[in-house]
Amino acid sequence: MQHTRSLAALAAATALVATGCSGGAEDDPNTLTLWMSTQESNQADAMNALIDAFEDANPGVTVELEQRAVDQHKEAMRQVAGTDSGPDLYWYWEGPGLGGELVDAGMSLDLTEYYGQYGWEDRFLPAALSNVTQYGGFHGVPWTVQGEAVYYNKALFEQAGITALPTTYDELTAAAAALAAQGITPIEFGGTVNWDAMRLLDSLVETECGAAVADELNTGDGDWGAEPCVTAAFTEFKTWGDAYFNDGYMGISADDAAQLFFTGEAAMSLEGTWYAAQATANGMDPEDVGVFLFPTGTGRMYGFGEGFYINAMSPRADKAAEFLDFITSEAGLAIAGANWGVMPVNRNVPVDDTNPLNAAWSDLFAATDGMYVNNDQNFSTAATTEYWRIQNSVLTGDIDPADAGAEFQTFRDAQG
Amino acid sequence: MATAPARPARRRTAPAHRRLATALPYLVPALVLYGWFLAYPMADAVRLSFFEWSGFRTEQPAWVGLDNYVRLFTQDAVFWTALRNSVIWVGLSLLVPTAIGLLLALGLNRRIAGRNLMRAVFYIPAVFASITVAAMWRWIYNPTLGFVNQALDAVGLGSWAQSWLGDPEFALGSIFAASVWQGVGFSMVLFLAGLQTVPAELMEAARIDGANTWQRFRNVTLPCLRPTTVVVVVLAIINALKVFDLVVGMTGGGPAQSTQVLALWSYTQSFTNHEFGMGGAVATVLLIVTLALVIPYMAWSMKEDR
Repeated sequence: MQHTRSLAALAAATALVATGCSGGAEDDPNTLTLWMSTQESNQADAMNALIDAFEDANPGVTVELEQRAVDQHKEAMRQVAGTDSGPDLYWYWEGPGLGGELVDAGMSLDLTEYYGQYGWEDRFLPAALSNVTQYGGFHGVPWTVQGEAVYYNKALFEQAGITALPTTYDELTAAAAALAAQGITPIEFGGTVNWDAMRLLDSLVETECGAAVADELNTGDGDWGAEPCVTAAFTEFKTWGDAYFNDGYMGISADDAAQLFFTGEAAMSLEGTWYAAQATANGMDPEDVGVFLFPTGTGRMYGFGEGFYINAMSPRADKAAEFLDFITSEAGLAIAGANWGVMPVNRNVPVDDTNPLNAAWSDLFAATDGMYVNNDQNFSTAATTEYWRIQNSVLTGDIDPADAGAEFQTFRDAQG
Repeated sequence: MATAPARPARRRTAPAHRRLATALPYLVPALVLYGWFLAYPMADAVRLSFFEWSGFRTEQPAWVGLDNYVRLFTQDAVFWTALRNSVIWVGLSLLVPTAIGLLLALGLNRRIAGRNLMRAVFYIPAVFASITVAAMWRWIYNPTLGFVNQALDAVGLGSWAQSWLGDPEFALGSIFAASVWQGVGFSMVLFLAGLQTVPAELMEAARIDGANTWQRFRNVTLPCLRPTTVVVVVLAIINALKVFDLVVGMTGGGPAQSTQVLALWSYTQSFTNHEFGMGGAVATVLLIVTLALVIPYMAWSMKEDR
């Protein structure tokens, strides 16, 4: 008898496991699930503090945060598309190749109704808002707006006799040449992560092609093989790699390369708003560091945004919108602080200027004329992989700069 | 008159189908697990290679026949690099760690001082996770702070310093060196175990017959090591074809995909590029290459053993 009962219990347990019944949050109207990529510890702490504050203000409501590594996060989102096993809310990059792909797949709820209800259109910075309106309607709420620009070591610039910040591309290359002549590494990159050197290539495409053609190439149907400016960009890119990058850049990571800037061995670093805190944390006096926009000549800032989206399949969209309203409010962003970036997306929240570099970023954002986005956010992931292969092959000399654009276009054509 | 001892009664064995019926309940759990976790995913990867699918549950995989294979063979520049690198890796794996493992085993099979310590030292890297080995060797190869370039500098060979993982000419070989460091201890242990099966009386007889060291190794030791060698070679081929984590950890397949291998390219196509059909096609090619190498070798070695 006991044996029979054990077998029955085992069978029941097996059946539960097999059917995936975990008694989780999916049926609980007061539990919101939130999926994010794995956050840095300071960000995770801040997110938990935001969740605690929201739960305190909404007794009975629980927010369950699930974090996954970047690739796993992307993969998980694909797996749950169109099913009711996804989260109520998800964090994602806003570019067409990433967040846009999920919008196309119908995962993101159009939040037009909530933008009206909560007055969010008046809340967010225009640059941040443009990232959620690019697909029509309102997809997601902005969480960060990240700019990327050239950080420079003031002492090394002075040592090389550079008295004025470069405002044109020619002045930038002249500055790099002056630094190299002094035996100083002009700029650092880490080649094992492809996106680091990609920042320079993206900026050179913007510089050589201008905003309209660059947009057509990056987000439209522009022909990479037919535009002479693409060859010019790859040619300049190769020159930078040969003459101005740190030695052995291709074999080290971005983190290792950044140490060259932090220790005063490299004069420049093409990095984002988050780098201000990193430079300070790595022992640099922010007064010794400056930042200027890559002089593309278009007046646009390089950067991207990240946002929170409500899953179109969520039965708790109202509650999810309440959560988003809270975390992007002045009270919410006071808790979030500068853990995700320098520029608060809420226009009523002042920039935290305890780090002088943050104030410099604020000025850059005020003066910018729109944004051009990192191409690993513009392209599909497959196109990004090919873009990086061609970019690195140009640097290693395996692809001639004159052939690079045509080779990338061949791939795009094959993709259809 | 002596009487012949009575013959022991011959034990009757059940017919084969009865024995199978008896064994089946014990085999079923393992067969179910094998089928579900190994056979089915393999078959599904092959099936997927005839479809185009982005991985979205909302999107139905579209039947494209052999298109993925045509794209793979005619338009995918990385595939040929990955195939070439995998073949090179197999060739080198059969030669280098196998030979070094055998030499180490022969050396450490002698009664010498510190033998056990040296066995442990050579075997320890084999217990490290590959991703740990990758992290260690990434530092060893660091262009500015790494041991290799600093050591070259210290002995006056600074001009030989390289970006070991950043130069397509050296990157694959540099990863392979780390793989040898990690894998040679395992081959050594297998050969050491094999050497314990070499009959001492055979070696003694050969010695009395005047055979020199090379002749004893060639005509006695090596034939006795045949079963071990089969295992080492098969494992070397399989491990070489599925090399993945060392490459991911040291170069991620770069620079410019120059260290890409089939297993990693299949993963990249599926889970990074979200082209599951192409990923399945690469996996199918890898499966065919593996079977094409392992099955004939095993068939040949079993035939020789008969």
